[in-house]
Amino acid sequence: MDIILLDNTLPKVFKNRTNIVSDVWLNPVTFERGKFYLVEANSGTGKSSLCSYIYGYRNDYEGQILFDGENITNFKSAQWAEIRKTQISILWQELRLFPELTAWENVQLKNQLTNHQTEEQIEKWFNQLGIADKKNELIGHMSYGQQQRVALIRTLCQPASFFFVDEPISHLDDENSRIMKDILTNEAKKQGAGIIATSIGKRLELDYDVTFKL
Amino acid sequence: MPQFVGFFLANLIGMTIFLLGFQFYQDIQKAYSGKDGLMSEDYVIISKHISTLGNTIFKQSSAFKSSEIEDLKEQDFVEKVGGFTSSAFKVRAGLNIMGIQSMSTDMFFESVPDEFVDTDQKWEYNEGDNFIPIIVPRDYMDLYNFGFAQSKNLPEISEGLAKSVTLDITISNKEKKDHYAGRIVGFTNRINSILVPQSFLNWANKEYASGKKAEHSRLIIKVSNPTDENLARYLQKHNYQTDSNKLKSSKTAFVLHTVLGLVMAVGVIICLLAFYILMLSIYLLIQKNSTKLENLLLLGYKANAVSRPYQLLGLVMNGVITLLAIVVLLIVRSYYVSKLASFFPSYEGAGISTTLLVGVGLFAITTMINSKLISNKIKTIILR
Repeated sequence: MDIILLDNTLPKVFKNRTNIVSDVWLNPVTFERGKFYLVEANSGTGKSSLCSYIYGYRNDYEGQILFDGENITNFKSAQWAEIRKTQISILWQELRLFPELTAWENVQLKNQLTNHQTEEQIEKWFNQLGIADKKNELIGHMSYGQQQRVALIRTLCQPASFFFVDEPISHLDDENSRIMKDILTNEAKKQGAGIIATSIGKRLELDYDVTFKL
Repeated sequence: MPQFVGFFLANLIGMTIFLLGFQFYQDIQKAYSGKDGLMSEDYVIISKHISTLGNTIFKQSSAFKSSEIEDLKEQDFVEKVGGFTSSAFKVRAGLNIMGIQSMSTDMFFESVPDEFVDTDQKWEYNEGDNFIPIIVPRDYMDLYNFGFAQSKNLPEISEGLAKSVTLDITISNKEKKDHYAGRIVGFTNRINSILVPQSFLNWANKEYASGKKAEHSRLIIKVSNPTDENLARYLQKHNYQTDSNKLKSSKTAFVLHTVLGLVMAVGVIICLLAFYILMLSIYLLIQKNSTKLENLLLLGYKANAVSRPYQLLGLVMNGVITLLAIVVLLIVRSYYVSKLASFFPSYEGAGISTTLLVGVGLFAITTMINSKLISNKIKTIILR
């Protein structure tokens, strides 16, 4: 997949607002594979909605979203599964980890599906992100910042044309943010993938090609 | 979970009732149609009403016209029709005991086509034979033994003895008189007349009563289903009479069928309700785990893969229920079949393969619907 196109998209809840000032809503927006994008948002401007729309989780919007020219509302459940497995990888703001599983199991749940990364590679990321000792800890027992790092590793355990990271460093210190940036950039470059990052405050310091104001 | 226990029991009961009803229906159907079965009146004998004015005074014929017989043959419930042929000559039968003619009486013969006669003895007559096989109604024996013999202080006669006695049959017309040896070869409950082979009467009527036209005033009908209501309706419409007892079986069967139908319907309703409970319980379980399922789907797991554990749950439960229901069926059946067999000595059950097939079919259908509903439900978890 090479191009994600938003064509006059607007969340239905914003329909009656008259004063929408946004680079994204009601505008044509193109995300190209291989480029890095930042979507800056204020709270309540529909950032989470945007993630949900592009990931086929919700469709309460007007206008169109097209993947390589194809309207995504036509996709069937099985197609979405394939897209989520091989095309778009997302790091949710709310992480969506399984609290009753360990950090390692959470990552494996994805990697077993895709067989994309080796165990050594995953171990290496655990080490780099400073959570090697938390591998067998239940997610429910870990801090939010630690969980964010586990979620990042899981995000990388699949082939992708686009990495979608929703406020990935909201609970990380600067050092860990930098490590995360490096890992993510490396992995994206390796696959020629694009990155779409969002932020309300702290932004992941990438070399963004385009910045949108939501 | 209590819901699943509830479903399990309810569906087990429903399925058992349904399958048992189904099997019992087949078994009892077999009991009807058996040779000495509950309702073995596959044969119905009909005649026209004899009225004083029409028949006695104006001498209208009570014989069936050939058009009436043809019409009867065309009815769906009729398998075959045979006419009674009467002897059109004088018959006198005497009893020879040790060479002495001890008593004799005027009598008559009738015949029906051989296919309506069910005997293991040789049942035919060839021109020139001196021997005539005879079948008499079992009632006659009873009349003699319990009525006549007792009042006259005569010895009672067993069926075996009666069969061993040779009767001296005298047949005559105005011109000649011939003697034959007759012997009772069997007793019948089916036909209320003194029967000789059709071939004998055909020949004898020609020989002793030439020129007389053979007319059938009684007909014997083999019906495909003695419980068919159309039969009773047809007879009523054409004002034919028959032994009313025989039509009672159709009423009995109707009641029995209705009751069995009701029982099976109850079984089906219980099954449907149980299925509803199952679906509600599974939906509830899915709802309870919706966040996890949602996250699995968002990880890229296919809806089918996520549905599988729930489908498996349904499959296993339905499978165990079907098996148990069949086991219960077999146990109950072995009990009632032995009872039926004691009522009807030659009774054989109907076989359970059809019921097994129905059981497995139901299992397959419910499991399929179940699985489909589950995967549909899972798909609705996301994409709101």
